[in-house]
Amino acid sequence: MARPKSATSSFWTAVWSIVWKDLRIEQHTRQTMSVMLMFSLVVVVMFNFALSTDLDAARQVSTGLLWATIILAGTLGLNRSLSIERENQTIDALLIAPVDRRGIYLAKVISVTIFTLLLEVALVFIFTIFFNKPFWQPAALLVLFLGTIGYVAAGVLITSMTIQTRSREVLLPILLLPIVLPLILPAAIATAEIVSLQPQMDTVNSSISLIAAYDLAILAVGFFSYPFLVES
Amino acid sequence: MNMTRLNRTVTILNVLAFLSLLVSIGFIFLYAPIERSMGNVQRIFYFHVGTAWVGSIAFFVALVAGALYLWRPQRRWDTIALSSVEVGLVFLTVTTAAGSVWGKPAWNTWWEWSPRLTLITIAWLVYAAYFMLRGAIEDEEKRGRFAAVYVIVSFVSIILAYVSIRIWRDIHPVVFGGTLESAQGAEQGLQDIAPGLASMRMGITLTVNVVSFSLIYLAWLMNRIRLQMLKDEVTTLKMRVAARLQGG
Amino acid sequence: MIQIAGLVKNYGVTPVLRGVQLHVAAGEFVTLVGPNGAGKSTLMRIVATLLKPTAGEVKIGGWALPQHGDRVRRYIGLVSHQTLLYGDLTAAENLHFYARLYSVPDAEARIGRALKQVGLAARQRDPVRTFSRGMMQRLTIARATLHEPEVLLLDEPYTGLDQDAAQLLDDLLLREQGNGRTILLITHDLVHGLDLCDRIAILNRGKIVVSLNSQEVTSGEFLELYAAHTGRKEVTGGK
Repeated sequence: MARPKSATSSFWTAVWSIVWKDLRIEQHTRQTMSVMLMFSLVVVVMFNFALSTDLDAARQVSTGLLWATIILAGTLGLNRSLSIERENQTIDALLIAPVDRRGIYLAKVISVTIFTLLLEVALVFIFTIFFNKPFWQPAALLVLFLGTIGYVAAGVLITSMTIQTRSREVLLPILLLPIVLPLILPAAIATAEIVSLQPQMDTVNSSISLIAAYDLAILAVGFFSYPFLVES
Repeated sequence: MNMTRLNRTVTILNVLAFLSLLVSIGFIFLYAPIERSMGNVQRIFYFHVGTAWVGSIAFFVALVAGALYLWRPQRRWDTIALSSVEVGLVFLTVTTAAGSVWGKPAWNTWWEWSPRLTLITIAWLVYAAYFMLRGAIEDEEKRGRFAAVYVIVSFVSIILAYVSIRIWRDIHPVVFGGTLESAQGAEQGLQDIAPGLASMRMGITLTVNVVSFSLIYLAWLMNRIRLQMLKDEVTTLKMRVAARLQGG
Repeated sequence: MIQIAGLVKNYGVTPVLRGVQLHVAAGEFVTLVGPNGAGKSTLMRIVATLLKPTAGEVKIGGWALPQHGDRVRRYIGLVSHQTLLYGDLTAAENLHFYARLYSVPDAEARIGRALKQVGLAARQRDPVRTFSRGMMQRLTIARATLHEPEVLLLDEPYTGLDQDAAQLLDDLLLREQGNGRTILLITHDLVHGLDLCDRIAILNRGKIVVSLNSQEVTSGEFLELYAAHTGRKEVTGGK
């Protein structure tokens, strides 16, 4: 019955089938993307309103606002992605399938990252227009990309915990936001530097290496500790 | 560890911790020289650094206990991790308070959103959230597992934040293993350590403080562990009584 | 096929299973009954590799759990009270997904056959959330047997099924049994459970208190036996 297949190839088959499944669900419902996008728009408009007396001030805080929007909208995406598996307890089906549990973690990181990156495409567009700053620059996109990976890597791990507690959605931001601050701070600083008139490239470079280090470290921790969160 | 041995250890540690606190206070006020530019207020430095040192040790102990729990899920590792985070958080709070009191004369402000102070705030939030996580989980075994994973993630995250403040310039001086960038910050904060004898006296006072705060940490940790063990015992007894009453 | 010896499971300090002994031979159909809170579902989750035992021995096909969970998983199929289906995917997509997870060979043909067997071929392109409870349960069976598991675990599969759906499930189970599957069924319905199985066991307060061949006992006798061991009269017969 067991077909001769190498362990790595069946690992990745499982990862991609879970990603495929998540994308398929999103294709049918469009719930995650629409909720994240709507929420982001509300946040942007709200902050613009709050800062409208001073357009320069709004421009100054725009990078911070961009990242704040991403991480807040991200919690919605994370909650949605992991609560899908709790609706009909499909997480059990994943756990009894001959799939490495770490593969489940990786698949969830990949699918939420895809959703968040799609959101960021829209946000970069919106922010460039609203705040008249070049958020579309390759370096800024790289920071967004790397930052998102680390954020989602920590997010999937923390959400897998909070989703199994009594307080569920409420607990996620309290646990997740402090954990990702060490990532978001350099990311926001680097982004601000890139879109400024005279970017200081050494600040950007050191920030990018910090972000990359965070990505790798949290991915590794998540990869190896996720199995402990789903088996009792 | 059995209860009588633990009780004895706790008593000895309590006495030692108390004595070492007296000794370190003595060193701070009687032995350490008056710092040249800031005067007597600089003496809070020894408390500040001592408690900060203990804070990082406490969180490191929690990390190790968490990893051990995942490796061999035994109740005691969870107890040690919990106790250490709790004590560590208290020390972190003391560090911040002492730093703030010192910051007022040194920087002319209680608080500054400099990278290092931001880091402390993050660390405080991260470890305070640890208790929220624990509080939200009923099942003891699951709570232990989740808390262990969380304590590992948070430590990694704090370490990365620590690395990042080493890279950025900061108003706050670096005491242990300072780098070039932070040297100019040191001038504003600690001031140049007085040469010769005075400097040596400061160093000795600092060492005495670090040692005695470590002792206080150890005593406190053991007290907290003992408390948790007693709590667990009470729970077990309650369960047994309940089972007996139900006719089990 | 399934060997359980001295199985203990505690939740914190509360014991749920206190030394369960159960052997299920290859190809055997065993029904497990017992009052609520006896630990039936816990036992099932342990056999399904979802829970780790506190102590004792659980072996499936000779592989010990939980150490060899990853070897065992390919050979088990689980039907629990949850459907384990994605409501937002269509019936066919659900099966495709599981076929991929289990790397089922010749998936397309097998999925077509499975859908026909459970009478859902016509609805295969509809999202599962629009299905009735009975249809979902049929699809659940198709899902659980898609990779042709040697051991089929069913935890209260009859919950919420109407007469027709229950009949269909009976037929499916008998066919699976005919295919040589080892089946462990948990149910509330004593008489029905007794009719289907080769052997029936009663789990009470975390222990197997009775285990006998279903031919040895009439349903009336079994009901008395059940009442005597659990101190409870279960609702029997109808749903």
